[in-house]
Amino acid sequence: MVSLLWLQGGACSGNTISLLNAEEPSIVDLVTDFGIDIVWHPSLGMELGKNAQKLLYSLARGERPLDIFVYEGTVIMGPNGTGRFNMFAERPMKDWVIELAHQAQIVVAIGDCAAYGGIPVVDPNPVDSIGMQYFRRHKGGFLGADFRSKMGLPVVNIPGCPVHPDWVTQILVAIATGRAGDIALDDIGRPKTFFTTFTQTGCTRNQFFEWKQSASEFGQGTRTGCLFYELGCRGPMTRSSCNRILWNRQSSKTRAGMPCLGCTEPEFPFYDLAPGTVFKTQKISGSVPMDLPTGTDHATYMAHAAMARVAAPSWSKEDIFVV
Amino acid sequence: MATLDLLVSPLGRVEGDLDLAVKIDDGVVSDAWTTASMFRGFEIILRGKDPQAGLIVTPRICGICGGSHLYKAVYALDTAWKTEVPVNATLVRNIAQACETIQSIPRWFYALFAIDLTNKNYAKSPNYAEAVRRFAPFVGACYEPAIVISSKPVEIYAIFGGQWPHSSFMIPGGVMSAPSLSDVTRSIAILDWWREHWLEKMWLGGSVDRWLENKTWDDVQTWMNENKGHYESDCGFFLRYAQEIGLDKFGQGVGRFLAPGTFFQPELYTHPTIEGRNAALISRAGVYDGKTWHEFDQARIKEDVTHSFYEGKKFLHPFEGVTEPIDPEEGRKHGKYTWSKSPRYDVPGIGYVPLEVGPLARQIIAGNPNHAAHQNYDPLIYNCYQQMGPSVMLRAFARMHEAARYYKMVRQWLTEIKLHDRFYIKPVERAEGQGFGATEAARGFLADWIVLKDGKIANYQVITPTAWNVSPRDGQENRGPMESAFMGVNVADAEDPVELGHVARSFDSCLVCTVHAYDGKSGAELAEFQLNGNGSC
Repeated sequence: MVSLLWLQGGACSGNTISLLNAEEPSIVDLVTDFGIDIVWHPSLGMELGKNAQKLLYSLARGERPLDIFVYEGTVIMGPNGTGRFNMFAERPMKDWVIELAHQAQIVVAIGDCAAYGGIPVVDPNPVDSIGMQYFRRHKGGFLGADFRSKMGLPVVNIPGCPVHPDWVTQILVAIATGRAGDIALDDIGRPKTFFTTFTQTGCTRNQFFEWKQSASEFGQGTRTGCLFYELGCRGPMTRSSCNRILWNRQSSKTRAGMPCLGCTEPEFPFYDLAPGTVFKTQKISGSVPMDLPTGTDHATYMAHAAMARVAAPSWSKEDIFVV
Repeated sequence: MATLDLLVSPLGRVEGDLDLAVKIDDGVVSDAWTTASMFRGFEIILRGKDPQAGLIVTPRICGICGGSHLYKAVYALDTAWKTEVPVNATLVRNIAQACETIQSIPRWFYALFAIDLTNKNYAKSPNYAEAVRRFAPFVGACYEPAIVISSKPVEIYAIFGGQWPHSSFMIPGGVMSAPSLSDVTRSIAILDWWREHWLEKMWLGGSVDRWLENKTWDDVQTWMNENKGHYESDCGFFLRYAQEIGLDKFGQGVGRFLAPGTFFQPELYTHPTIEGRNAALISRAGVYDGKTWHEFDQARIKEDVTHSFYEGKKFLHPFEGVTEPIDPEEGRKHGKYTWSKSPRYDVPGIGYVPLEVGPLARQIIAGNPNHAAHQNYDPLIYNCYQQMGPSVMLRAFARMHEAARYYKMVRQWLTEIKLHDRFYIKPVERAEGQGFGATEAARGFLADWIVLKDGKIANYQVITPTAWNVSPRDGQENRGPMESAFMGVNVADAEDPVELGHVARSFDSCLVCTVHAYDGKSGAELAEFQLNGNGSC
């Protein structure tokens, strides 16, 4: 049995709800087939009665072993460092988090909020939210840069807004089946197995990206073209597996015609949603994308783009996702 | 404030996002207070941002009804920017919104509501063993299938919107996607798989069409006894067992209802306006004051913060609304006890009062016989309401009834999409304006008010279903709907007051909540237990 405690701070519960969409394994399979003992979760039918606080204290004090501590949502520090914007079981949630994190074998930050801050930290960060071990890309966060769980690991960040259910279930199964040692993390705490490829990897619009052909507009305009050039898509510079492991077993945002928002990266939402930045590619001198595909620079990009446009075959300017 | 002070202290003991304090005198609830215990400040974040920021931010208010947030947020912008929305886009928006709700129906029933039906307090009921066999969490015969099947309708959402939850594929002027033939045929196949495997096989034990012939509570009894399939279905069993354990006898609430309506008749709402909204709705808007129906008018809504952790005692319409949080410690000194504001509606002839929102409210509005040809008229739940009044059972029944109704609508809309027509008309991005968008989240009224100035958001106010239902007392000391629903409830076992759990869950507040029960005389705590929710609407 692997014990798991799941708490929610400055959260929308979207990661929990996303998890309920999982199959192979489903959330029920995690419990019945993989022996994950969910000692407490805010949305699932765990009966705890008046013992809830007693249980939480026994975990927080190390009297009862805790294998996995999953935290969803930001850690809320306000007002004035008291944490009273988010009370939980008689105390500010942040006080529970720091105690439980130090008792757990593995600490998992689920979703962009817990990992890096997400939407709640957008200017003016009204409740003084912070991620578990990061504030956006700055290491430190609530638990500090040097924090290590009892197993010696930093916080495992599974970002995304929300996370894909498989990113969670497969990591939990890895832990439950003795493969925790195979979970390699990148330089911002993400499991490399899901967050090394790009959102663009597997996108059905890649041929249009290759020939620098843009989708002209939304709706019928997305029957052809790439969303990167005009519509603000961050697929070429966002690390995720959204187009390798499809959403709801069916599709992905970019396949459907919605630009990637970069929600697995610490800067999400980019540009703090300032006027003019939503669903619009940011440009330098009106034509060149400000943010380029990872690993390129503007001189190289422009040379390559000019060549690609010249070489573009005629079909790349026609509708391809047709009725 | 004397009575409030008495209970503020025990209210300090909070688990989860919603805390209910209930005073019990001689086994009967004599007072109740609800506390939402977490604040994130989304309305503050939206100030000064890109006009379309709400399409990204507001779905993240609530993971379970994020699609509903997107739906109303886009209509707030459509009305503010005066867009034109093509017929196809309205159909796709309707389909997506309805699929989110039909996802929520079995998930809510089996994962959140029905597990209380297996409470040991009912062990002496004749059908208790059968309830446990079906509904016990994780191991019940219906539990896992229903959880897994509930993820099917949102596969359709993903086909049109890329993913669920948290897509932002609806934009002013339409939708981002343009489905292909196989997107539509796959969606039909998934929807019909859901109908066959859950709606007909598990829930109704018979056909959808036969169910929808039921117009009265008596019709339902006839349906029930018509054959073994109906009688033994989860629906049949629930209705029989709910009456056996008395869920039809308590949890009445304020007895006044509000529905903002949802789903537009596409050709009637190609140019969305606030004024033209009611007439274009398929699932109607309205107010029911306990005796008669009234037209819905968003201008009659105000939010009170007398007992909420915000500055002062302001009572403002959302276009003028403000969100000025204060330290809860300071707020408690002034009789404030929750993060929820108190939305109130100016009912003609009555004045500003709390109203219940949600499936029961929707279905009572749907029972109004005055309707246009394109509008949903469905007398069943209104007839049940007249026969037996509101209760925990009727609230749950209203919600489950919508599964059949919504299935039929989505199936129809899928046939109406014209694949070669437009899905988007690029709008003029106006720098100034104000807009209102609303919908029915699974659990009720959800609306945005947006004010644009200088090409950015000057004010953004959201009212959620939970704000209506778990709202605290207002400046007139009127209790919120859920607080009212607890009043007079008989608690059989004060050590395990499952009746209070039923009431709370029947509203599906989508906050995790904890009930604390106190002895009215001694103030001693009798029991506390965890309820479960799934989101933060």
